Amino acid sequence: MLKQYVVDAAKVPWKSSETDGLTFQCQVMLDGDDGGPEAIRFRFDPTSAVYAHMHLTSQFQLLIAGGMDMPRGQMNLRPVSIHYTDHNTPYGPFSCAPGHDMLVLHPKSGGLISMANRDARRKINLKARLLVAHLEDQHWSALEDKPGSRIQSLIPADMGPEALVIELTAGAEMPTAPAAYGRYEVVLAGSVHCDGEELGPAGFRHVQGDEAPAPLRAGPQGARIALLSFDADALEGGLTGEGIAVTAAQAMARAI
Amino acid sequence: MNSPANAPTGATAGSEAPAPLDRNKFMVAVFADFVCPYSFITIDQMDRLSAEYGVRVLWRPHWLHPETPPDGKPYDDNPDATKRRAAVMDWVKEMSPEHTTQMRFPDRMQNSFLAFEALEFAVDHGRSMPFKSAVFTRLWNAGEDIGKVATLQKAAETSGLDADKLGQALRARQYSQRALAAVTQARDLGVTATPTMFIGRTRVNGWHYYEVIQTIMEKQGMTPLGDPAEVSQH
Repeated sequence: MLKQYVVDAAKVPWKSSETDGLTFQCQVMLDGDDGGPEAIRFRFDPTSAVYAHMHLTSQFQLLIAGGMDMPRGQMNLRPVSIHYTDHNTPYGPFSCAPGHDMLVLHPKSGGLISMANRDARRKINLKARLLVAHLEDQHWSALEDKPGSRIQSLIPADMGPEALVIELTAGAEMPTAPAAYGRYEVVLAGSVHCDGEELGPAGFRHVQGDEAPAPLRAGPQGARIALLSFDADALEGGLTGEGIAVTAAQAMARAI
Repeated sequence: MNSPANAPTGATAGSEAPAPLDRNKFMVAVFADFVCPYSFITIDQMDRLSAEYGVRVLWRPHWLHPETPPDGKPYDDNPDATKRRAAVMDWVKEMSPEHTTQMRFPDRMQNSFLAFEALEFAVDHGRSMPFKSAVFTRLWNAGEDIGKVATLQKAAETSGLDADKLGQALRARQYSQRALAAVTQARDLGVTATPTMFIGRTRVNGWHYYEVIQTIMEKQGMTPLGDPAEVSQH
């Protein structure tokens, strides 16, 4: 069975918001209220120092513009960058450079909990993975049977979660495969045709199931697409309705 | 992937099965460098751990910057480096606000090796834990140069050591081979970041919250001193 969500970023309203002194604009692209994926686009104001926090589910952060600097590990993210964390993995604080634009992609509702919360610290995932990768001009490979199209692996599948970027020429179809734990297919540039809609930058499809979804087809200007696949960690955590999950759900609700 | 930041920042746990409780045999070792701000905010955690769990903490050196001359060197003053130091300080202060009110970056990058030698002296005299704290405080609160004998003697005075004897030992380089061996041991163990903590069977790469360390302790059967769970096991 295949389940999919299609989101046209151009149709999702922007909200201005504030939490704990941080100001930002956001689009709630998928709210996760049906038990499905949760996806939020954030544009933090450049002066923000985003406090250390974690989410109760696995997460891809996809930086599509601006910058994010995390002093620990000297992680300086510039577009296009991927920052993956398992459920209950703290990160930050981090600062955001001007023009910041980022998609926060969860397999299900993950809430938000500050690491100032000492109870939350006792729930940190001790075996967590934190993976960071950047799109690099020199790492492209030709895409088989797709002349002019190309692919780049940012996080290889043997790490568990996988991140790929594919560039398709106009009209080319994206190779497709089932996504057991869920996969976001995010348009980074150009456009794709999907179920009768044309999705532009920051639009996406989320697919999950044991069947391969219909292939996305690149629009007239071609398309650059990020494919972000979760692994079994997507089944862990979540908003269980008890303990710190209550706090996390409330904090996210306040934030957005 | 193409980032050096791919390594997990959290714990890399070994077997998590609870072990029999034996505080005397339970080993906590911290590999740290005095010039590392993340190590500075670990000292109170480890002192608290030792007091609350009754375990011995071994403080060992990992030399982050052996390229630093004995007299130290100026920090890079380009805008990126200055910004990076400020960001690190902000990070450290958010992680440990209660321990960083007086903390400030020293004026220069300092050479740690003489302090490592002094630490060996303190080990021999049973005062390594207070001495390491005193050295950190001299550097990160008072801004003093720990590459100088006089600074280390001041740290000795406040930690129950004979400052004159320490001065003699340092000038004679009495502990240089031992300090070098300790630094080599850290390298042989694959330590690349500070602090690196070995908590029983679990290795933690980098600073972490005290509550995480508590969780690691408890997963290995260690409870705080006086905890009812401990009483019931006896």
